[in-house]
Amino acid sequence: MTRDLLIVDKVRKSFGGLIAVGGDAGLSFSVPEGTFLGLIGPNGAGKSTTFNLISGVLKPTSGAVLLDGRDLSKARASDIASYGLGRTFQTPRAFPSLTVLENVMVGADNQGETLFSVLRGGWRSRETALRDKAGEVLERVGLSDRIDDVVANLSGGELRMLEVARQLVRDPRILLLDEPTAGVDPSLQAKLSRILVDLHSEGRTLVVVEHNLHFLLQIADSIVVLQNGQLLSRGTPSEIKSDEKVIAAYLGADHAA
Amino acid sequence: MNTISQIALTVVMFGSLFSVLTLSLNLQYARGGMINFGTVAYFATGAYAYAIVTQEPPHGLDQYLVGLDMPWWAGFIAAGLAAMAFAILTGWPTLRLRGEYLALTTFAFAEMLNSLLVNERGIGNGTVGLANVERPDANILGLSENVVYALAAFLLMLATAYAFRRLLASPYGRAVDAIRDDEVAAQAIGKNIARLRFQVFVISSMPIGFAGALYAMITTLVNPELFTAEVTFFVWIALVLGGERTILGAIIGTMALVGFQEAIRAIPFESVRAAEIAASAEDIVTGILFIVILRWQPFSALARRRQAA
Ligand SMILES: Nc1ncnc2c1ncn2[C@@H]1O[C@H](COP(=O)(O)OP(=O)(O)OP(=O)(O)O)[C@@H](O)[C@H]1O
Ligand SMILES: [Mg+2]
Repeated sequence: MTRDLLIVDKVRKSFGGLIAVGGDAGLSFSVPEGTFLGLIGPNGAGKSTTFNLISGVLKPTSGAVLLDGRDLSKARASDIASYGLGRTFQTPRAFPSLTVLENVMVGADNQGETLFSVLRGGWRSRETALRDKAGEVLERVGLSDRIDDVVANLSGGELRMLEVARQLVRDPRILLLDEPTAGVDPSLQAKLSRILVDLHSEGRTLVVVEHNLHFLLQIADSIVVLQNGQLLSRGTPSEIKSDEKVIAAYLGADHAA
Repeated sequence: MNTISQIALTVVMFGSLFSVLTLSLNLQYARGGMINFGTVAYFATGAYAYAIVTQEPPHGLDQYLVGLDMPWWAGFIAAGLAAMAFAILTGWPTLRLRGEYLALTTFAFAEMLNSLLVNERGIGNGTVGLANVERPDANILGLSENVVYALAAFLLMLATAYAFRRLLASPYGRAVDAIRDDEVAAQAIGKNIARLRFQVFVISSMPIGFAGALYAMITTLVNPELFTAEVTFFVWIALVLGGERTILGAIIGTMALVGFQEAIRAIPFESVRAAEIAASAEDIVTGILFIVILRWQPFSALARRRQAA
């Protein structure tokens, strides 16, 4: 038995009285360490909101999220990130005043970011190593020839990969990706798929929201299906593919065919 | 000829002095994303701290309560620390606020400080202010005092520019930029935005305090009328004039604005009436200039082009 790295425990979230996630009973699921979990569901099912609740961008109306046994109720988003959680956003986010390389370097947990270090100037020596590391990650996501570019010149797909790179450079213990293949061209998708498989085999924990089921069902080892903010089903990709409820609610006739 | 060199000296002296404020504002706003509409308060804190630390204990008609009679350098250091302390006091409750709310609260804090200086005579004699502020003997190398103080202001400006440049060129500056660009994304990579913004706010107040001390030395007088919101607006206009984000832009903008005002003031007037008209014309032209520059941003376009090249 591997232990649960992430536990979502009876979480509910309402916006202005409307319950978006959790229904009446609350949403509960767990992510054992090393799992590659796919999170799927129709538009508006609450996938992105669930990510926001886990990463601290939003706070649950009730219920709790635990990361490695630690209750995140009081933690800031930045604290949660520093506990080893990485995430990307459905709409990619980048820092437009930084170059592509700097967008990745800024992601690294950096001791050079303290005032003390600025005073001593000790950050310079670490900067070279950091630059190399960021360069490697950018190579991995296929952006190595855009290193000195400004982010305004990147396509939507490239921005997504940049965001993945910024998280990878932090070596997160658990990585949440919100629709990483949306708008990404097929060759980059294949690259991304390989990266995720590699990360998985390195023992890293992944939670990936995807509408591209072809992509996800091939590489995930467990799937959670949400509908109306509630857990509809959970199982292996093959169990999910043949689950009547899931087919009816989400996969639709054309997938079954 | 004499008047021209006189004007040039004044421009260097006050241009450099106020550049320190513009540079600090540049760090807070253009890099840190914080709108401080109370800049003058940190300047006033520095000036008063300097005066109080260096002046003699009260006697005769003095209403102020404290005069420490310490040397100028102690007053100078105290000015920087006092401005930082005031930044801690005002930044702590307000920095969580966004944009225009922060602008309003910082403005309110500055107004409060001003009325405190007016009404609490124990601080600095109320509206009368503190006259004959002590200053070091500046007759060095056979230079005139004005030249020495212009030089001191210039050096303070260079030191501030150097320190901020060093800060911004480091990973610290990178994190500050990231937070200004996108708070949510910055938090997602573990940046503690409250801490960083607070630090930037407090650090950038220190040079403003130093500038306040130097200002007190130059004018040898501090009173509440010298530290009104006009000073804040002046440095904001200078910052916008110079185009955001660049250190050089902040300096050029301030120098240009001070130069413009000094040039108008230097015009010899035949009558008091003409001088009054010129004074209001100065305000109007400054206003128009401000609008034109806001609209077309020629200097920031220039800076961007330089950056792109
Ligand atoms: N900040 C918000 N304020 C109000 N309602 C919100 C907010 N965020 C999400 N919602 C609502 O919560 C529900 C779930 O939205 P969410 O974005 O989590 O769905 P999703 O599963 O990610 O959908 P998609 O596949 O379209 O990305 C939707 O009904 C949405 O309108
Ligand atoms: Mg979504």
